[in-house]
Amino acid sequence: MNEQRKDILDMLAEGKITADEAERLLAALERDLPAPAASLDVRPKGKPKYLRVMMNTVENDETGHINIRVPLQLLRAGVQLAALIPPKALTAANTKLTESGVPIDLTQLKPEQLEALVEHLDEMTVDIDQPDAKLRVFCE
Amino acid sequence: MPQLVTLRFKRPDRRAVRIWVPVLPVLLVFSPLVVLAALGAVVACLIFHVSVTRAFGTGWRIVWALSGTRFDMEYDRMGVLVAFR
Repeated sequence: MNEQRKDILDMLAEGKITADEAERLLAALERDLPAPAASLDVRPKGKPKYLRVMMNTVENDETGHINIRVPLQLLRAGVQLAALIPPKALTAANTKLTESGVPIDLTQLKPEQLEALVEHLDEMTVDIDQPDAKLRVFCE
Repeated sequence: MPQLVTLRFKRPDRRAVRIWVPVLPVLLVFSPLVVLAALGAVVACLIFHVSVTRAFGTGWRIVWALSGTRFDMEYDRMGVLVAFR
């Protein structure tokens, strides 16, 4: 509650003004208040459609640029491929991963989990800034 | 579904080559090969015990979602661009 509004209600409570006068004052106060500034967090953002990967490198005075734009829809469709991997291949991959010291069970990886990961990609931004390379990963 | 694929190749000593590939006409021209590839895919699905309908559905969804994809890479004076529109 702002200060002026509190003053009006105090005056009403003390009986200095009537309820009608308080109502008129509050209405006048609301008219005079500026519209709240839209903050960046509250501003409705358009749903991102693309995942962008931008990289600039400088190596031996030679510059390199990588600019990749992938529709998020394509990522969503791509994760469905996980469901098409034959069980035999998953078992073989699991064995190799365990042998390499990466004990990840790929059979437990469900397309729904990958979809959830893609869904939350729009909140992700990666910025890597080094003297010879700059990398940015974001959604737009 | 993408309608046009743009390819660009840049080489240091030559002019950049830019190729526009209209997807639908090219698919029509190569339709016999597309049918053969589809049959090969069905056989592969049966061999590896993968649902044919699911595999084709996923493939179709991927092709459909390709529009807007852009891959642009340049190094020194060489470069490759692949864009789907």
